[in-house]
Amino acid sequence: MVDVHLRGIVKKFGHTIALRGIDLDVEDGEFVVLLGPSGCGKTTTLRIIAGLEKPTKGKVIFGNRDVTYLPPRERNISMVFQSYAVWPHMKVYDNIAFPLKIKKVPKEEIDRKVKWAAELLQISDLLDRYPHQLSGGQRQRVAVARAIVVEPQVLLMDEPLSNLDALLRVKMRSELKKLQRRIKVTTIYVTHDQVEAMTMGDRIAVMKDGKIMQIGTPTEIYHKPANMFVAGFIGSPQMNFIDVTVSEEADGLSLVSEDFKIKLPPDIAELVKQYTGKTLVMGIRPEHIYPEGFAPSNVKRTVKISGVVDFVEALGSDTIIHLNTGSRIIVVKASGTYHTNIGEKLNVELGLDKIHIFRKDTEEAIL
Amino acid sequence: MVRRRGKVFLKYLAINIIVWTIAILWTLPFIGVAMVSVKPFKEVVVNGWWTLTGHYTLKNFIDAWSNPVYGVGRGYTNSFIVAIPSTIIPLFIAALAAYVFSRFSFPLKTWLFITLLVIMSMPQQMSVVPLFFMLDRMGLYDQLSGLILVHSAWGLAWITFFLKNFFDTLPREVEEAARVDGAGDFHIFFRLVLPMSLPAIASVSAIQFTWVWSDFFYALVFIASPEKYVVTLQVANMRGQYFVDWGLLSAGAIFTMLVPLLVYALLQKYYVRGMVGWTIKG
Repeated sequence: MVDVHLRGIVKKFGHTIALRGIDLDVEDGEFVVLLGPSGCGKTTTLRIIAGLEKPTKGKVIFGNRDVTYLPPRERNISMVFQSYAVWPHMKVYDNIAFPLKIKKVPKEEIDRKVKWAAELLQISDLLDRYPHQLSGGQRQRVAVARAIVVEPQVLLMDEPLSNLDALLRVKMRSELKKLQRRIKVTTIYVTHDQVEAMTMGDRIAVMKDGKIMQIGTPTEIYHKPANMFVAGFIGSPQMNFIDVTVSEEADGLSLVSEDFKIKLPPDIAELVKQYTGKTLVMGIRPEHIYPEGFAPSNVKRTVKISGVVDFVEALGSDTIIHLNTGSRIIVVKASGTYHTNIGEKLNVELGLDKIHIFRKDTEEAIL
Repeated sequence: MVRRRGKVFLKYLAINIIVWTIAILWTLPFIGVAMVSVKPFKEVVVNGWWTLTGHYTLKNFIDAWSNPVYGVGRGYTNSFIVAIPSTIIPLFIAALAAYVFSRFSFPLKTWLFITLLVIMSMPQQMSVVPLFFMLDRMGLYDQLSGLILVHSAWGLAWITFFLKNFFDTLPREVEEAARVDGAGDFHIFFRLVLPMSLPAIASVSAIQFTWVWSDFFYALVFIASPEKYVVTLQVANMRGQYFVDWGLLSAGAIFTMLVPLLVYALLQKYYVRGMVGWTIKG
C-alpha cells in the first residue's frame, strides 16, 4: 500500500477550469471520500490520480514516486467505475482474471487469485456467467472483485453505488467499507451522496467549483464546517441560515435578527467583536431546533421563536416541520412521535450551544 | 364505445391493406422469376408464368449451373474469390481507422473525415476511368486481385464512417477500465472493442459482401476474360443475341441472389440483437 499526495493540481479543459489547485494527502490504508455536487471536479481529480487525465499543473505523488505523467498501468492502481465497466462478452471469471492476464501472471496463480476475490465478494457461484445474466448488485461485485484481484496500491472508486437501488446501496456501502478495512488498501472514493461519504470515509474532502472546501473526519465536517457551503451541503435537511447583525449593548454583544435577539457569552462575543454593526450569517441545524418543551435536558441555553407551521413531512423516525416566522422559513427536525398540523402556531427553541456563525462576504466560519 | 371500436378496426384494416398491397407488389417480380425458373420455357410463353398447372422442372437450374460458356458454377467461384477478401480487407482497415477517428485527436482529423464523406458521396462512374488506367499500369486489369483492390478501396470510406459512428456509442469507461488494468491500445481494440462491436461488424460484413457480390459495373469494366467473370457477368451473358431463354436466365438470377439472402439469414441475429445484452450500463 502507499500514501497519495496531490500538490497544486490544476486542470483546464480548453477555457474551462475544472480544478483550481487541489492539495490532498491520503495516508497509507486510509479511506478518503471526495464529496461534492455535480461538476465540482471530484471525478476529474480521481481520473488524474488514475492517470486517465494529465493535470495542467501540479503533481501526483504515490509514496515518494512522482507519477504525474505515468500511464495508468505503471501506477499499480485499480478503479471501479459508476457503470461498473464489466466486459459484456467475457464471463465473470474472465472479467476478474483480465488484469492478471495482462500482467502475464501464471495460470495457477490467476485461478487462485480469481477464486480468492470471488469468495471475498461472495460471487463464487457466478464465475461461469456472462454479465448480462447478473443483477446490478452482482455486476458491481464483479467490478470490485476485478479491482482488488491485482492487490493494487491504490483503489479508486467513482460513484460505484449510484446505479444501485436504495436498499442494495445501503448493503453494499457497509460491505465495501468492511472489505477496505480487511485488505487495508488506500482508497479514494468519489460520491455526491453525503450519507455515503459520512458512513464510509475515514476522512472527507468536500469540493466545490474545482476546489477543496474542507478536509476532515465526518464528525469534524458535520460539527465544525469551515464555511457556509460545507455547512449547507452536509446534513439533511440543510442547515438553516439566518442573517444577523452584531449589536453592541450595555450588557455586551448580541446577535439581532428580525425574529430574535441572542445575547452572546463572553467567549463568542470576543470572536465576533470585530464585526460589530456588520451583518453575519448564523447557522443552525434543524435537529438543534426543538418544539417548545422538547429540548433535551443537556441543552441549557435556548432562544425562542414563534411561527406558523407551513408544511410537515412525517418521515416516521423524524418529523420535519417548515415553520414560517413571518420573515423566513425555518426548518425544524423533531422526533417522529411529535405531531403538529399545517397552520398551527408553534413556538420553537434554538439550541444556542450548537449555532455556527459565518462571515457574510467570504462565507467562512467564525464559529 | 362501439363507434370508437369500429374506428380502430377500420384503421387497422386500412393499414393492413396498404402493407399487404406493397408487400405483394414488391415480391411479385421475385415470384415471377421463381415460377419461370421452374417451368419449361414453352409453357411460360403460352400460358404465362402465373399458371400454377403444367410441368415443373429443375432443368433450368442444372443448365444454368453447368453452362459450358457462362456457367454459374464458375461465376460463383470467382465471385467468392472477389467478395470474401473485398469484405475482410476493408473491414479490418476501416475498423482500425474508425477507432482512431472515434478515440484519438490528431491534426487535420476533421478534414480527413470530411474527405471520407465526400468520397462516400461520389458515384462509381466518376472514378472508373482513372481506376481503369491505374489498374492497367499496375498490371491488374483483367485480374480478380484488381477487382478486389477496387472494391476494398471503395468500401473503406463508408465502413469507416459506419464503424466510427458505432464506436462513438460504446461506453468509454469500458476501455478506460482496461487501460487502468494495464491494457494497451491494440489490446483494448482487439480484445474489447471489436468483440463488443460484433453487431456492427455483422451488419457491415453483410452489406459489403452483398454489395460486392451484386456488383456488375466494376466487374464489367475491369474484367475481360470470360473465365474470370463473376456470377453477375455470367448471368448477364446467358442472354443470347437473338434468343433469350428466360427460364435459364431466371435460374441464373436465383442462383445469384441466393448467396446474399443466405448471408443476411446467417448474420441476421447479430444485427437484430443490436446492442441488447452487449453493452451493459446501469
